[in-house]
Amino acid sequence: MAFENETQKLHDALVSCKVPEISKAVDEAHAAGMPATEIINTLGGSMSEVGVLFERGKLFLPHVLSAAAGMKKAMEALNDELSAGNSGGDVKASAVMGTVEGDVHDIGKSICSTMLQCAGFDVHDLGRDVPLGKFVDECKAGCTFCGMSALMTTTMVQMKTVIDNLKEEGIRDKVTVMVGGAPITQGFCDKIGADIYGESASETTRKAQDVLGA
Amino acid sequence: MTEYYTRMGDGRRVTMTKEQVMTDIQAGTADAADMAGIPALDANDIEHMCEIVIDQSRVVGVEPGHEVVMTYDIGQLDFTGDNGNSGNGVDMGRLEAALLHERALGADTFELSHSDYSIKPVKPVISMEMQAMEEIQSEIIAPYFYGAMPNMGLYYAPDGPYGNPADLMREFKIDESMASSEAAADHLARDIEFVTTRLQAAGSDGFNFDTTGSAGDADFVGTLNGVRILREQCPEAYINVGAAGESVMGIHGMMEFDGEIAAGLYPHQQCKLIAKAGANVFGAVCNTNTSRSLAWNLGRAVTFIKKAVEDSPIPVHVDMGMGVGGIPMFETPPLDAVARCNKAMVEIAKVDGV
Repeated sequence: MAFENETQKLHDALVSCKVPEISKAVDEAHAAGMPATEIINTLGGSMSEVGVLFERGKLFLPHVLSAAAGMKKAMEALNDELSAGNSGGDVKASAVMGTVEGDVHDIGKSICSTMLQCAGFDVHDLGRDVPLGKFVDECKAGCTFCGMSALMTTTMVQMKTVIDNLKEEGIRDKVTVMVGGAPITQGFCDKIGADIYGESASETTRKAQDVLGA
Repeated sequence: MTEYYTRMGDGRRVTMTKEQVMTDIQAGTADAADMAGIPALDANDIEHMCEIVIDQSRVVGVEPGHEVVMTYDIGQLDFTGDNGNSGNGVDMGRLEAALLHERALGADTFELSHSDYSIKPVKPVISMEMQAMEEIQSEIIAPYFYGAMPNMGLYYAPDGPYGNPADLMREFKIDESMASSEAAADHLARDIEFVTTRLQAAGSDGFNFDTTGSAGDADFVGTLNGVRILREQCPEAYINVGAAGESVMGIHGMMEFDGEIAAGLYPHQQCKLIAKAGANVFGAVCNTNTSRSLAWNLGRAVTFIKKAVEDSPIPVHVDMGMGVGGIPMFETPPLDAVARCNKAMVEIAKVDGV
Protein backbone atom coordinates (compact mmCIF):
# COMPACT_ATOMS: atom_id res chain seq x y z
CA MET A 1 0.00 0.00 0.00
CA ALA A 2 1.39 3.40 -1.02
CA PHE A 3 1.91 6.00 1.69
CA GLU A 4 1.22 3.41 4.39
CA ASN A 5 3.35 5.24 6.94
CA GLU A 6 1.74 8.61 6.15
CA THR A 7 -1.76 7.11 6.27
CA GLN A 8 -1.11 5.69 9.72
CA LYS A 9 0.31 9.00 10.96
CA LEU A 10 -2.68 10.94 9.61
CA HIS A 11 -5.07 8.52 11.28
CA ASP A 12 -3.23 8.64 14.62
CA ALA A 13 -3.03 12.43 14.52
CA LEU A 14 -6.73 12.88 13.83
CA VAL A 15 -7.81 10.40 16.51
CA SER A 16 -5.50 12.24 18.96
CA CYS A 17 -7.79 15.27 18.33
CA LYS A 18 -4.86 17.69 18.52
CA VAL A 19 -4.85 20.35 15.83
CA PRO A 20 -1.04 20.91 15.71
CA GLU A 21 -0.42 17.17 15.33
CA ILE A 22 -3.00 16.90 12.57
CA SER A 23 -1.40 19.83 10.73
CA LYS A 24 2.06 18.31 11.13
CA ALA A 25 0.90 14.94 9.78
CA VAL A 26 -0.80 16.65 6.83
CA ASP A 27 2.33 18.67 6.00
CA GLU A 28 4.53 15.57 6.17
CA ALA A 29 2.16 13.50 4.04
CA HIS A 30 1.94 16.27 1.47
CA ALA A 31 5.71 16.69 1.42
CA ALA A 32 6.05 12.94 0.83
CA GLY A 33 3.91 13.30 -2.28
CA MET A 34 0.60 11.94 -0.98
CA PRO A 35 -2.21 13.44 -3.10
CA ALA A 36 -4.44 15.96 -1.36
CA THR A 37 -7.56 13.91 -2.11
CA GLU A 38 -6.03 10.87 -0.44
CA ILE A 39 -5.02 12.91 2.60
CA ILE A 40 -8.54 14.26 3.02
CA ASN A 41 -10.11 10.84 2.45
CA THR A 42 -7.84 9.35 5.11
CA LEU A 43 -8.74 12.09 7.56
CA GLY A 44 -12.44 11.62 6.70
CA GLY A 45 -12.24 7.92 7.48
CA SER A 46 -10.52 8.64 10.77
CA MET A 47 -13.18 11.26 11.55
CA SER A 48 -15.76 8.48 11.41
CA GLU A 49 -13.72 6.61 14.01
CA VAL A 50 -13.71 9.74 16.19
CA GLY A 51 -17.52 9.73 15.90
CA VAL A 52 -17.67 6.14 17.09
CA LEU A 53 -15.37 6.89 20.03
CA PHE A 54 -17.64 9.83 20.95
CA GLU A 55 -20.69 7.60 20.80
CA ARG A 56 -18.99 5.07 23.06
CA GLY A 57 -18.14 7.77 25.61
CA LYS A 58 -14.40 7.50 24.99
CA LEU A 59 -14.09 10.98 23.49
CA PHE A 60 -16.07 14.14 24.26
CA LEU A 61 -17.50 16.97 22.24
CA PRO A 62 -14.45 19.27 22.46
CA HIS A 63 -12.30 16.41 21.18
CA VAL A 64 -14.60 15.91 18.21
CA LEU A 65 -14.50 19.63 17.54
CA SER A 66 -10.70 19.73 17.72
CA ALA A 67 -10.48 16.87 15.26
CA ALA A 68 -12.89 18.69 12.96
CA ALA A 69 -10.90 21.91 13.35
CA GLY A 70 -7.75 20.01 12.38
CA MET A 71 -9.49 18.62 9.33
CA LYS A 72 -10.80 22.05 8.39
CA LYS A 73 -7.28 23.44 8.63
CA ALA A 74 -6.00 20.62 6.44
CA MET A 75 -8.61 21.44 3.80
CA GLU A 76 -7.54 25.08 3.87
CA ALA A 77 -3.88 24.13 3.56
CA LEU A 78 -4.59 21.82 0.62
CA ASN A 79 -7.19 24.06 -0.92
CA ASP A 80 -5.31 24.85 -4.13
CA GLU A 81 -4.71 21.23 -5.00
CA LEU A 82 -8.21 20.20 -3.96
CA SER A 83 -9.76 22.96 -6.07
CA ALA A 84 -7.68 21.95 -9.07
CA GLY A 85 -8.88 18.39 -8.76
CA ASN A 86 -12.31 19.53 -7.62
CA SER A 87 -12.47 16.86 -4.97
CA GLY A 88 -12.64 16.39 -1.25
CA GLY A 89 -13.23 19.91 -0.01
CA ASP A 90 -16.84 20.40 -1.05
CA VAL A 91 -19.72 20.68 1.37
CA LYS A 92 -21.66 17.40 1.27
CA ALA A 93 -25.12 18.88 1.64
CA SER A 94 -27.02 21.58 3.50
CA ALA A 95 -29.05 20.60 6.53
CA VAL A 96 -31.56 22.68 8.47
CA MET A 97 -31.71 21.67 12.12
CA GLY A 98 -33.96 22.78 14.94
CA THR A 99 -36.11 21.91 17.92
CA VAL A 100 -39.74 22.21 16.89
CA GLU A 101 -42.00 25.04 18.01
CA GLY A 102 -43.23 24.71 21.57
CA ASP A 103 -40.17 22.79 22.72
CA VAL A 104 -37.15 24.45 24.32
CA HIS A 105 -34.84 21.44 24.75
CA ASP A 106 -31.90 21.62 22.40
CA ILE A 107 -28.81 19.96 23.83
CA GLY A 108 -29.23 16.74 21.84
CA LYS A 109 -30.09 18.64 18.70
CA SER A 110 -27.03 20.88 19.14
CA ILE A 111 -24.74 17.88 19.49
CA CYS A 112 -26.27 16.41 16.36
CA SER A 113 -25.72 19.69 14.48
CA THR A 114 -22.10 19.68 15.56
CA MET A 115 -21.59 16.08 14.46
CA LEU A 116 -23.14 16.81 11.08
CA GLN A 117 -20.94 19.86 10.68
CA CYS A 118 -17.89 17.77 11.54
CA ALA A 119 -18.98 15.30 8.87
CA GLY A 120 -18.93 18.04 6.23
CA PHE A 121 -22.54 19.18 6.14
CA ASP A 122 -23.40 22.87 5.87
CA VAL A 123 -25.62 23.12 8.95
CA HIS A 124 -28.26 25.82 9.39
CA ASP A 125 -29.12 25.41 13.06
CA LEU A 126 -32.25 27.45 13.82
CA GLY A 127 -32.06 26.74 17.55
CA ARG A 128 -35.11 25.85 19.59
CA ASP A 129 -38.80 26.66 19.60
CA VAL A 130 -38.51 27.03 15.84
CA PRO A 131 -41.68 28.07 13.98
CA LEU A 132 -42.58 25.21 11.66
CA GLY A 133 -42.60 27.40 8.57
CA LYS A 134 -38.91 28.13 9.00
CA PHE A 135 -37.98 24.51 8.39
CA VAL A 136 -39.90 24.61 5.12
CA ASP A 137 -38.39 27.98 4.16
CA GLU A 138 -34.87 26.60 4.58
CA CYS A 139 -35.72 23.56 2.48
CA LYS A 140 -37.15 25.78 -0.22
CA ALA A 141 -33.91 27.76 -0.07
CA GLY A 142 -31.85 24.65 -0.77
CA CYS A 143 -31.43 22.51 2.32
CA THR A 144 -31.78 18.87 1.32
CA PHE A 145 -31.76 17.54 4.87
CA CYS A 146 -34.28 18.65 7.50
CA GLY A 147 -33.51 17.60 11.09
CA MET A 148 -36.15 18.08 13.76
CA SER A 149 -35.84 17.40 17.48
CA ALA A 150 -38.35 17.23 20.33
CA LEU A 151 -38.12 16.17 23.95
CA MET A 152 -41.81 16.11 24.68
CA THR A 153 -44.67 13.95 23.46
CA THR A 154 -46.76 17.09 23.22
CA THR A 155 -44.41 18.71 20.72
CA MET A 156 -43.15 15.77 18.70
CA VAL A 157 -46.39 15.74 16.71
CA GLN A 158 -45.27 19.02 15.10
CA MET A 159 -42.82 17.02 13.02
CA LYS A 160 -45.64 15.54 10.98
CA THR A 161 -46.95 19.03 10.23
CA VAL A 162 -43.59 20.00 8.76
CA ILE A 163 -43.58 16.87 6.61
CA ASP A 164 -47.12 17.66 5.43
CA ASN A 165 -46.04 21.21 4.63
CA LEU A 166 -43.07 19.94 2.63
CA LYS A 167 -45.53 17.81 0.64
CA GLU A 168 -47.82 20.79 0.07
CA GLU A 169 -44.88 22.77 -1.25
CA GLY A 170 -44.03 19.91 -3.61
CA ILE A 171 -40.51 19.45 -2.25
CA ARG A 172 -40.95 16.44 0.03
CA ASP A 173 -39.08 14.10 -2.31
CA LYS A 174 -36.12 16.49 -2.46
CA VAL A 175 -35.60 16.53 1.30
CA THR A 176 -34.38 13.84 3.68
CA VAL A 177 -36.30 14.32 6.91
CA MET A 178 -34.46 13.33 10.10
CA VAL A 179 -36.16 13.09 13.50
CA GLY A 180 -34.78 12.55 16.97
CA GLY A 181 -35.17 13.29 20.67
CA ALA A 182 -36.04 11.32 23.77
CA PRO A 183 -39.66 10.38 22.96
CA ILE A 184 -38.99 9.72 19.27
CA THR A 185 -38.77 6.12 18.13
CA GLN A 186 -38.32 4.31 14.84
CA GLY A 187 -42.03 3.50 15.02
CA PHE A 188 -42.93 7.19 15.27
CA CYS A 189 -40.51 8.02 12.46
CA ASP A 190 -42.22 5.45 10.23
CA LYS A 191 -45.68 6.57 11.28
CA ILE A 192 -45.18 10.22 10.29
CA GLY A 193 -43.27 9.34 7.14
CA ALA A 194 -39.84 10.70 8.11
CA ASP A 195 -36.75 9.21 6.49
CA ILE A 196 -34.21 8.92 9.29
CA TYR A 197 -34.56 8.21 12.99
CA GLY A 198 -31.39 8.62 15.00
CA GLU A 199 -31.05 7.00 18.41
CA SER A 200 -28.01 9.24 18.91
CA ALA A 201 -26.25 12.15 17.22
CA SER A 202 -23.65 9.78 15.78
CA GLU A 203 -26.28 7.43 14.40
CA THR A 204 -28.15 10.29 12.76
CA THR A 205 -24.95 11.55 11.16
CA ARG A 206 -24.03 8.08 9.96
CA LYS A 207 -27.46 7.58 8.40
CA ALA A 208 -27.30 11.01 6.75
CA GLN A 209 -23.93 10.11 5.27
CA ASP A 210 -25.38 6.82 4.05
CA VAL A 211 -28.09 8.72 2.17
CA LEU A 212 -25.37 10.60 0.33
CA GLY A 213 -23.37 7.44 -0.19
CA ALA A 214 -20.50 9.16 1.60
CA MET B 1 -40.64 -23.30 19.47
CA THR B 2 -42.41 -21.50 22.34
CA GLU B 3 -42.65 -17.75 21.93
CA TYR B 4 -43.06 -15.37 24.86
CA TYR B 5 -44.69 -11.98 24.93
CA THR B 6 -42.22 -9.25 25.74
CA ARG B 7 -41.55 -5.63 24.79
CA MET B 8 -39.35 -3.44 22.67
CA GLY B 9 -37.72 -0.34 24.15
CA ASP B 10 -40.53 1.80 22.71
CA GLY B 11 -43.15 -0.31 24.49
CA ARG B 12 -44.30 -2.32 21.47
CA ARG B 13 -45.52 -5.84 22.19
CA VAL B 14 -43.40 -8.49 20.44
CA THR B 15 -42.87 -12.21 20.84
CA MET B 16 -39.47 -13.80 21.25
CA THR B 17 -38.18 -17.30 21.90
CA LYS B 18 -36.19 -18.03 25.04
CA GLU B 19 -33.07 -18.29 22.89
CA GLN B 20 -33.70 -14.84 21.41
CA VAL B 21 -34.22 -13.37 24.87
CA MET B 22 -30.98 -14.96 26.08
CA THR B 23 -29.10 -13.66 23.04
CA ASP B 24 -30.37 -10.12 23.63
CA ILE B 25 -29.53 -10.17 27.34
CA GLN B 26 -26.03 -11.35 26.47
CA ALA B 27 -25.65 -8.60 23.87
CA GLY B 28 -26.95 -5.94 26.28
CA THR B 29 -24.65 -6.93 29.11
CA ALA B 30 -21.72 -7.14 26.70
CA ASP B 31 -22.44 -3.61 25.47
CA ALA B 32 -22.43 -2.20 29.02
CA ALA B 33 -19.30 -4.14 29.92
CA ASP B 34 -17.51 -2.82 26.84
CA MET B 35 -18.60 0.79 27.37
CA ALA B 36 -17.78 1.04 31.07
CA GLY B 37 -14.94 -1.49 31.29
CA ILE B 38 -16.84 -3.52 33.87
CA PRO B 39 -17.70 -7.22 34.18
CA ALA B 40 -20.60 -8.57 32.17
CA LEU B 41 -23.33 -10.48 33.99
CA ASP B 42 -22.41 -14.11 34.64
CA ALA B 43 -24.31 -17.12 33.34
CA ASN B 44 -26.44 -17.45 36.49
CA ASP B 45 -27.50 -13.81 36.36
CA ILE B 46 -28.34 -14.06 32.67
CA GLU B 47 -30.41 -17.21 33.22
CA HIS B 48 -32.21 -15.58 36.14
CA MET B 49 -32.95 -12.46 34.10
CA CYS B 50 -34.23 -14.58 31.23
CA GLU B 51 -36.65 -16.36 33.56
CA ILE B 52 -37.91 -12.98 34.78
CA VAL B 53 -38.40 -11.69 31.23
CA ILE B 54 -40.26 -14.78 29.94
CA ASP B 55 -42.38 -15.26 33.08
CA GLN B 56 -45.95 -15.75 31.90
CA SER B 57 -47.48 -13.72 34.73
CA ARG B 58 -48.45 -10.20 33.80
CA VAL B 59 -46.94 -8.82 37.00
CA VAL B 60 -43.91 -10.23 38.79
CA GLY B 61 -42.43 -9.24 42.15
CA VAL B 62 -39.82 -10.01 44.75
CA GLU B 63 -40.24 -12.50 47.56
CA PRO B 64 -41.67 -11.19 50.85
CA GLY B 65 -38.89 -9.77 52.95
CA HIS B 66 -36.87 -8.71 49.92
CA GLU B 67 -38.72 -5.46 49.31
CA VAL B 68 -36.59 -2.35 49.00
CA VAL B 69 -37.04 1.29 49.90
CA MET B 70 -39.22 3.18 47.43
CA THR B 71 -38.78 6.89 47.00
CA TYR B 72 -40.45 9.13 44.46
CA ASP B 73 -39.24 12.03 42.43
CA ILE B 74 -41.12 14.82 40.60
CA GLY B 75 -43.28 15.59 43.64
CA GLN B 76 -46.98 16.02 43.03
CA LEU B 77 -46.57 16.11 39.27
CA ASP B 78 -47.08 12.37 38.80
CA PHE B 79 -50.65 12.95 39.92
CA THR B 80 -51.34 16.38 38.55
CA GLY B 81 -49.37 16.23 35.33
CA ASP B 82 -50.92 15.21 32.06
CA ASN B 83 -50.49 15.72 28.33
CA GLY B 84 -47.17 14.12 27.79
CA ASN B 85 -45.46 14.10 31.14
CA SER B 86 -46.71 10.72 32.28
CA GLY B 87 -48.98 12.00 35.03
CA ASN B 88 -52.53 10.99 35.77
CA GLY B 89 -54.16 14.34 35.09
CA VAL B 90 -55.78 14.43 38.53
CA ASP B 91 -55.63 17.98 39.78
CA MET B 92 -54.87 18.34 43.47
CA GLY B 93 -52.83 20.43 45.83
CA ARG B 94 -49.29 19.62 46.88
CA LEU B 95 -50.36 18.69 50.41
CA GLU B 96 -52.95 16.19 49.13
CA ALA B 97 -50.44 14.68 46.73
CA ALA B 98 -47.87 14.28 49.49
CA LEU B 99 -50.32 12.58 51.85
CA LEU B 100 -51.61 10.30 49.09
CA HIS B 101 -48.09 9.16 48.29
CA GLU B 102 -47.39 8.56 51.97
CA ARG B 103 -50.66 6.92 52.98
CA ALA B 104 -51.97 5.24 49.83
CA LEU B 105 -48.98 4.54 47.60
CA GLY B 106 -46.49 3.35 50.21
CA ALA B 107 -43.86 5.95 49.42
CA ASP B 108 -40.99 5.74 51.89
CA THR B 109 -39.94 9.27 51.05
CA PHE B 110 -41.56 12.03 49.07
CA GLU B 111 -40.78 15.54 47.95
CA LEU B 112 -42.16 18.99 47.32
CA SER B 113 -41.50 20.39 43.89
CA HIS B 114 -42.16 23.38 41.68
CA SER B 115 -44.03 22.76 38.43
CA ASP B 116 -40.94 23.69 36.40
CA TYR B 117 -38.93 21.18 38.46
CA SER B 118 -35.64 23.07 38.05
CA ILE B 119 -33.44 24.88 40.60
CA LYS B 120 -33.31 28.24 38.87
CA PRO B 121 -37.06 28.99 38.64
CA VAL B 122 -37.41 28.29 42.37
CA LYS B 123 -35.39 31.39 43.23
CA PRO B 124 -38.12 33.97 42.57
CA VAL B 125 -40.73 31.88 44.42
CA ILE B 126 -38.53 30.73 47.27
CA SER B 127 -40.75 32.29 49.96
CA MET B 128 -43.81 30.42 48.70
CA GLU B 129 -41.87 27.17 48.53
CA MET B 130 -40.60 27.65 52.08
CA GLN B 131 -44.13 28.29 53.28
CA ALA B 132 -45.48 25.18 51.52
CA MET B 133 -42.64 23.10 52.95
CA GLU B 134 -43.37 24.27 56.48
CA GLU B 135 -47.11 23.64 56.16
CA ILE B 136 -46.80 20.15 54.66
CA GLN B 137 -44.09 19.12 57.13
CA SER B 138 -46.60 19.72 59.93
CA GLU B 139 -48.86 16.97 58.50
CA ILE B 140 -46.63 14.40 56.83
CA ILE B 141 -44.73 11.69 58.69
CA ALA B 142 -42.53 10.21 55.94
CA PRO B 143 -39.24 11.97 55.20
CA TYR B 144 -40.20 14.91 53.03
CA PHE B 145 -37.62 16.55 50.76
CA TYR B 146 -37.53 19.28 48.20
CA GLY B 147 -36.79 18.09 44.67
CA ALA B 148 -35.57 19.81 41.51
CA MET B 149 -33.30 19.29 38.54
CA PRO B 150 -30.08 21.32 38.36
CA ASN B 151 -30.95 21.78 34.65
CA MET B 152 -27.95 23.90 33.77
CA GLY B 153 -29.28 24.49 30.27
CA LEU B 154 -31.27 27.33 31.82
CA TYR B 155 -28.02 29.23 32.46
CA TYR B 156 -27.07 29.39 28.79
CA ALA B 157 -28.35 31.75 26.11
CA PRO B 158 -31.16 32.42 25.41
CA ASP B 159 -32.37 31.56 28.95
CA GLY B 160 -29.33 32.66 30.91
CA PRO B 161 -26.34 35.00 30.88
CA TYR B 162 -23.71 32.62 29.50
CA GLY B 163 -22.94 31.78 25.88
CA ASN B 164 -24.37 28.51 24.68
CA PRO B 165 -21.45 26.04 24.49
CA ALA B 166 -23.00 24.16 21.60
CA ASP B 167 -23.26 27.35 19.54
CA LEU B 168 -19.74 28.40 20.46
CA MET B 169 -18.31 25.02 19.56
CA ARG B 170 -19.92 25.05 16.16
CA GLU B 171 -17.93 28.24 15.56
CA PHE B 172 -14.83 26.35 16.77
CA LYS B 173 -14.62 28.65 19.82
CA ILE B 174 -13.70 25.75 22.03
CA ASP B 175 -11.95 27.74 24.77
CA GLU B 176 -14.86 30.18 25.01
CA SER B 177 -17.27 27.28 25.14
CA MET B 178 -15.38 25.72 28.02
CA ALA B 179 -15.17 29.04 29.88
CA SER B 180 -18.92 29.47 29.49
CA SER B 181 -19.56 26.01 30.94
CA GLU B 182 -17.31 26.76 33.90
CA ALA B 183 -19.03 30.08 34.63
CA ALA B 184 -22.48 28.48 34.40
CA ALA B 185 -21.40 25.68 36.75
CA ASP B 186 -20.27 28.24 39.35
CA HIS B 187 -23.58 30.06 39.00
CA LEU B 188 -25.50 26.80 39.41
CA ALA B 189 -23.61 25.98 42.61
CA ARG B 190 -24.48 29.41 44.01
CA ASP B 191 -28.15 28.92 43.15
CA ILE B 192 -28.15 25.48 44.76
CA GLU B 193 -26.81 27.03 47.91
CA PHE B 194 -29.47 29.78 47.82
CA VAL B 195 -32.40 27.43 47.25
CA THR B 196 -31.43 24.41 49.33
CA THR B 197 -30.29 26.18 52.48
CA ARG B 198 -33.51 28.18 52.62
CA LEU B 199 -35.67 25.09 52.19
CA GLN B 200 -33.69 23.31 54.88
CA ALA B 201 -34.33 26.28 57.13
CA ALA B 202 -38.06 25.84 56.39
CA GLY B 203 -37.96 22.29 57.71
CA SER B 204 -37.13 20.14 54.70
CA ASP B 205 -35.68 16.75 55.59
CA GLY B 206 -33.37 16.93 52.63
CA PHE B 207 -32.98 17.58 48.92
CA ASN B 208 -33.34 15.45 45.82
CA PHE B 209 -31.13 16.54 42.90
CA ASP B 210 -32.89 14.97 39.94
CA THR B 211 -31.31 14.34 36.54
CA THR B 212 -27.89 15.66 37.51
CA GLY B 213 -25.65 16.19 34.51
CA SER B 214 -28.46 16.60 31.97
CA ALA B 215 -26.52 19.50 30.43
CA GLY B 216 -23.25 17.61 30.54
CA ASP B 217 -20.19 17.34 32.73
CA ALA B 218 -20.26 21.00 33.87
CA ASP B 219 -23.83 20.46 35.13
CA PHE B 220 -22.60 17.38 37.01
CA VAL B 221 -19.64 19.23 38.58
CA GLY B 222 -21.65 22.37 39.38
CA THR B 223 -24.23 20.24 41.14
CA LEU B 224 -21.65 18.37 43.19
CA ASN B 225 -20.10 21.67 44.23
CA GLY B 226 -23.57 22.78 45.34
CA VAL B 227 -24.08 19.51 47.20
CA ARG B 228 -20.80 20.01 49.01
CA ILE B 229 -21.90 23.47 50.14
CA LEU B 230 -25.27 22.14 51.27
CA ARG B 231 -23.57 19.36 53.24
CA GLU B 232 -21.25 21.88 54.93
CA GLN B 233 -24.05 24.26 55.82
CA CYS B 234 -26.71 21.68 56.70
CA PRO B 235 -24.99 18.58 58.09
CA GLU B 236 -28.35 17.00 58.94
CA ALA B 237 -29.75 17.22 55.38
CA TYR B 238 -30.55 13.93 53.66
CA ILE B 239 -29.29 14.33 50.11
CA ASN B 240 -30.25 12.26 47.07
CA VAL B 241 -28.27 12.81 43.88
CA GLY B 242 -29.81 11.17 40.84
CA ALA B 243 -27.93 11.07 37.55
CA ALA B 244 -29.14 11.87 34.03
CA GLY B 245 -27.70 8.87 32.24
CA GLU B 246 -25.31 5.97 32.40
CA SER B 247 -22.43 8.19 31.28
CA VAL B 248 -21.69 11.81 32.12
CA MET B 249 -21.84 13.67 28.80
CA GLY B 250 -18.60 15.45 27.96
CA ILE B 251 -19.75 18.84 26.72
CA HIS B 252 -16.75 20.51 28.39
CA GLY B 253 -14.59 17.45 28.65
CA MET B 254 -12.07 18.53 31.26
CA MET B 255 -14.04 19.68 34.29
CA GLU B 256 -13.04 18.04 37.51
CA PHE B 257 -14.58 17.39 40.88
CA ASP B 258 -12.14 16.57 43.64
CA GLY B 259 -9.36 16.09 41.08
CA GLU B 260 -11.30 13.68 38.87
CA ILE B 261 -12.56 14.45 35.37
CA ALA B 262 -16.33 14.06 35.33
CA ALA B 263 -16.89 13.47 31.62
CA GLY B 264 -17.38 9.87 30.70
CA LEU B 265 -17.90 8.57 34.23
CA TYR B 266 -20.17 5.54 34.51
CA PRO B 267 -22.45 4.74 37.46
CA HIS B 268 -19.80 2.77 39.36
CA GLN B 269 -17.56 5.85 39.12
CA GLN B 270 -20.26 8.52 39.50
CA CYS B 271 -21.25 7.09 42.89
CA LYS B 272 -17.83 7.71 44.38
CA LEU B 273 -17.77 11.40 43.47
CA ILE B 274 -21.36 11.86 44.57
CA ALA B 275 -20.51 10.30 47.93
CA LYS B 276 -17.45 12.54 48.24
CA ALA B 277 -19.62 15.59 47.70
CA GLY B 278 -21.68 14.58 50.72
CA ALA B 279 -24.75 12.83 49.33
CA ASN B 280 -26.53 10.09 51.27
CA VAL B 281 -28.05 8.26 48.29
CA PHE B 282 -27.05 7.81 44.66
CA GLY B 283 -29.83 7.59 42.07
CA ALA B 284 -28.20 5.50 39.35
CA VAL B 285 -29.58 5.79 35.82
CA CYS B 286 -29.36 3.87 32.57
CA ASN B 287 -31.31 5.17 29.60
CA THR B 288 -33.37 2.90 27.35
CA ASN B 289 -32.64 2.33 23.68
CA THR B 290 -36.04 2.37 21.98
CA SER B 291 -34.87 0.30 19.02
CA ARG B 292 -33.75 -2.63 21.18
CA SER B 293 -35.74 -5.20 23.12
CA LEU B 294 -36.60 -5.14 26.81
CA ALA B 295 -34.17 -8.05 27.25
CA TRP B 296 -31.30 -6.12 25.67
CA ASN B 297 -32.04 -2.95 27.65
CA LEU B 298 -32.47 -4.79 30.92
CA GLY B 299 -29.29 -6.79 30.44
CA ARG B 300 -27.43 -3.58 29.79
CA ALA B 301 -29.00 -1.56 32.61
CA VAL B 302 -28.56 -4.22 35.28
CA THR B 303 -24.89 -4.60 34.33
CA PHE B 304 -24.18 -0.91 34.95
CA ILE B 305 -26.24 -0.75 38.14
CA LYS B 306 -24.94 -4.00 39.64
CA LYS B 307 -21.36 -2.74 39.43
CA ALA B 308 -22.44 0.62 40.91
CA VAL B 309 -24.07 -1.14 43.85
CA GLU B 310 -20.90 -3.16 44.44
CA ASP B 311 -18.63 -0.11 44.32
CA SER B 312 -20.79 2.58 45.89
CA PRO B 313 -19.91 3.85 49.36
CA ILE B 314 -23.54 5.02 49.75
CA PRO B 315 -26.88 3.29 49.08
CA VAL B 316 -27.98 3.09 45.45
CA HIS B 317 -31.61 3.79 44.60
CA VAL B 318 -31.94 2.99 40.91
CA ASP B 319 -34.04 5.32 38.78
CA MET B 320 -36.93 3.27 37.38
CA GLY B 321 -39.46 4.87 35.11
CA MET B 322 -40.30 5.98 31.60
CA GLY B 323 -37.21 5.27 29.48
CA VAL B 324 -34.82 4.37 32.28
CA GLY B 325 -33.68 1.21 34.07
CA GLY B 326 -34.58 -1.01 31.11
CA ILE B 327 -38.20 0.19 31.16
CA PRO B 328 -39.61 1.17 27.75
CA MET B 329 -39.76 4.79 26.68
CA PHE B 330 -43.50 5.19 26.74
CA GLU B 331 -45.76 7.81 28.27
CA THR B 332 -47.37 5.28 30.58
CA PRO B 333 -44.82 2.49 30.84
CA PRO B 334 -46.39 -0.99 30.50
CA LEU B 335 -46.86 -2.64 33.89
CA ASP B 336 -45.44 -6.00 32.79
CA ALA B 337 -42.18 -4.31 31.81
CA VAL B 338 -42.03 -2.11 34.90
CA ALA B 339 -42.50 -5.11 37.19
CA ARG B 340 -39.87 -7.21 35.41
CA CYS B 341 -37.25 -4.48 35.40
CA ASN B 342 -37.78 -3.70 39.09
CA LYS B 343 -37.55 -7.37 40.06
CA ALA B 344 -34.30 -7.77 38.11
CA MET B 345 -32.82 -4.64 39.66
CA VAL B 346 -33.57 -5.90 43.16
CA GLU B 347 -32.66 -9.55 42.70
CA ILE B 348 -29.70 -9.28 40.32
CA ALA B 349 -28.29 -5.79 40.73
CA LYS B 350 -29.10 -5.88 44.48
CA VAL B 351 -30.15 -2.23 44.60
CA ASP B 352 -30.88 -0.66 47.99
CA GLY B 353 -33.93 1.16 46.74
CA VAL B 354 -36.00 2.25 43.76
